[in-house]
Amino acid sequence: MDNIVGKKSTLTWAVHISMGLLVALWLFPTIGLFVSSFRTADQIATSGWWSSLSTQERQVPAIRVEGAEQQIDGRFVIEGRLFEATNAVISAWGTSSREPEAYAPDQVVELEGGATLSVAADGAYVLSSPATTEGTRLPRIFSSAATPPEFTTENYRAILFDPRNVDGMAKAFFNTLTVTIPATIIPILVAAFAAYALAWMDFPGRALLIAAIVGLLVVPLQLALIPLLKLHNEIGIGKGYLGVWLAHTGFGLPLAIYLLRNYMVGLPRDIIECAKVDGASDFQIFIKIILPLSFPALASFAIFQFLWTWNDLLVALVFLLDSSGETTVMTKQIVELLGTRGGNWEVLATAAFISIAVPLCVFFAMQKYLVRGLLAGSVK
Amino acid sequence: MKTKLYVSAAALAIIAGTASAQDLKFPVGEGAFNWASMEEFKAAHGDLAGQELTIAGPWLGPDQELVESMLAYFEAATGVDVKYVGSDSFETQVRIDAEAGSAANISVFPQPGLTADLAKLGQVAALTDADAAWLQENYAAGQSWVDLATFPGADGNPALFGFFYKVDVKSLVWYSPENFADAGYDVPQTMEELKALTEKMKADGITPWCVGLGSGGATGWPATDWVEDLMLRTQSPADYDAWVNNSLKFNDPKVVAAIDEFGWFIQDGYVAGGKGAVATTDFRDSPKGLFSSPPQCMMHRQASFIPSFFPEGTEMGVDADFFYFPAYAEKDLGKPVLGAGTLFGITKDSPAARAFIDWLKVPVAHEVWMAQSGFLTPHKGVNVDLYGDATLKKMGGILLGADTFRFDGSDLMPGGVGAGSFWTGMVDYAGGKSAQDVADAIQTSWDGLK
Repeated sequence: MDNIVGKKSTLTWAVHISMGLLVALWLFPTIGLFVSSFRTADQIATSGWWSSLSTQERQVPAIRVEGAEQQIDGRFVIEGRLFEATNAVISAWGTSSREPEAYAPDQVVELEGGATLSVAADGAYVLSSPATTEGTRLPRIFSSAATPPEFTTENYRAILFDPRNVDGMAKAFFNTLTVTIPATIIPILVAAFAAYALAWMDFPGRALLIAAIVGLLVVPLQLALIPLLKLHNEIGIGKGYLGVWLAHTGFGLPLAIYLLRNYMVGLPRDIIECAKVDGASDFQIFIKIILPLSFPALASFAIFQFLWTWNDLLVALVFLLDSSGETTVMTKQIVELLGTRGGNWEVLATAAFISIAVPLCVFFAMQKYLVRGLLAGSVK
Repeated sequence: MKTKLYVSAAALAIIAGTASAQDLKFPVGEGAFNWASMEEFKAAHGDLAGQELTIAGPWLGPDQELVESMLAYFEAATGVDVKYVGSDSFETQVRIDAEAGSAANISVFPQPGLTADLAKLGQVAALTDADAAWLQENYAAGQSWVDLATFPGADGNPALFGFFYKVDVKSLVWYSPENFADAGYDVPQTMEELKALTEKMKADGITPWCVGLGSGGATGWPATDWVEDLMLRTQSPADYDAWVNNSLKFNDPKVVAAIDEFGWFIQDGYVAGGKGAVATTDFRDSPKGLFSSPPQCMMHRQASFIPSFFPEGTEMGVDADFFYFPAYAEKDLGKPVLGAGTLFGITKDSPAARAFIDWLKVPVAHEVWMAQSGFLTPHKGVNVDLYGDATLKKMGGILLGADTFRFDGSDLMPGGVGAGSFWTGMVDYAGGKSAQDVADAIQTSWDGLK
């Protein structure tokens, strides 16, 4: 028999392998995203992230000769480099899009008008012309080169330190905290009370009420956007923090009550009855016994709600961001960085890593409760 | 690069002072701008100080900086505090806000169809007859701009609901002049030449076209522009108008022929990656094939905004250029131009909002933006020498040289077709369905909306 206590199952290796596979499967896209966040838009568009990890032989798009003109021995000479990296190795080059690999490195080639051009294997080029090339169109150099891995922190700089959006980003960060923290705490407070009542207080219609709350779990929040915003406008809340807190609370409550109630129902009846016999009121039982015992469930719901409100754009757009432009949230700020037609999409991967920093901290701080909380109510 | 210079200048301006909206891009009184018109406007509307005007629109990032540079002059002239907020999902958001009653004073609609929907619900305030008369008088092809923005209101009476400002030209083919020179090709002047050139490239072993239809949820729209452009080149403008309002059925042989005409350009061997790659290539990545080594393609048909998706450092006029998507010489249809534009509507009436519509009539409001980048205008009273670069000026020339100007048809069709079955139909067509089947399906969906 395999399943005797204290003896390892012979299938352990299968468990470990499938575990490893699952972890790899989950991590694979994340690693790709992380590598991409250090690449430029052109790099992302032309090759996959995996190819950026090793030296690649590829045909480099045309690079135009540029640089200061010097007069040497009566000829006008421009010297420069094709690549910033000094360890690229060019195997062939050309000046026409029809024949991008026409010449070998160091070969001196005659161009129109008596000019000569040569490109060394390391990417250094020399253009020598009998007349000045100022004001004329300089030749393009096509090359095939093996380039070592090249990464840039430009995307991170653009998001975090670019003077054009550094103010907006900082503001968005604090605005987002202003939205998420109350939007996490309020539903927990309300739901804890409701869950206790639904779990331990006897009143007619309790089962129906629970069923109704479970039913609310499947109502998509998009249904409520317009009516709720109308209501907010009519009672004078309008668009603002109060509105978005209320909306997040409302949308989060069914899950919160359901989760907490199921957990609280599973607490031992004896403790509560003992407390009642000793003369404790419902409120005292709730504060002194139920709340401390329910901490894992509270924490796991807090993680859920925090992640959801942190990543939310829809609810913020509808209930918070008015046409005055005074408030903004991280998600909105990131969308703005993309530009009108999503042209700056290279910042997306970077923005994702910046925006998950805070939720990650929250998660690691509370994750030991997550598993316990998720099992809430499932085992008696 | 001009835009680069501009962007760094804008960045500097913002470092210099947080109240960037107050910094005027071009000092008043200098340059060839029509400053007198601004003074006139100031005299007429200078009493609005302290009022607030909110504007919501689809422009973000660099475009937002451009529109704000224009708004700064309105603030300077009137003392109104203008707040612009851009959104990438503007079309959805304006519906929610208008429905719930929290819309901005002015909304910038990217398509007339959306304005028509909101006007019908009484959520957009009608402009005055004086506004319509002004447009007729002062815009090139003024009547057509008025017609495009005139819809039935909540009471069923047609009125002008939007003011067109900022136009895009769509009938452009982008190419690399040096790649053309390397292979010894000339810019075609007629559709016959363009087709001959396409076939010649194929014979030379070069892929002529890059076409990409991918655009997330809007996948397929670049193909609708192709079909509209080809419709204008094979059928009369009257047929085009009839097609847009469905009095010419979508599955009419004339329309099917235009779709098949598009099919000619995307057959295997004529398009980078083959026909199968057309629907899956993102429209933002597609033009990059012009600049790769070796070039994946030689030509790319796309609207005037596409240079922002060219590889970094591409210099307009040197590394890349464009020519007019030509018309058939044998068909006597003149030089049709397809375009699009944004229209400003009042979604929450106020004196400042009315003043703002008047501001859009002032030449300076157009000149400030056109002197920078990405702006074309049909306003006849502006100084065209102010166009920020040669490219814009050349596009402006195409706009003014057009015998026929027609608005992007898919933007005028009902949303379910123009932003629905037409898009998906074109994806199906690129995927191998026949033009007749696709047209039939689109017509069926249109019938379903009636």
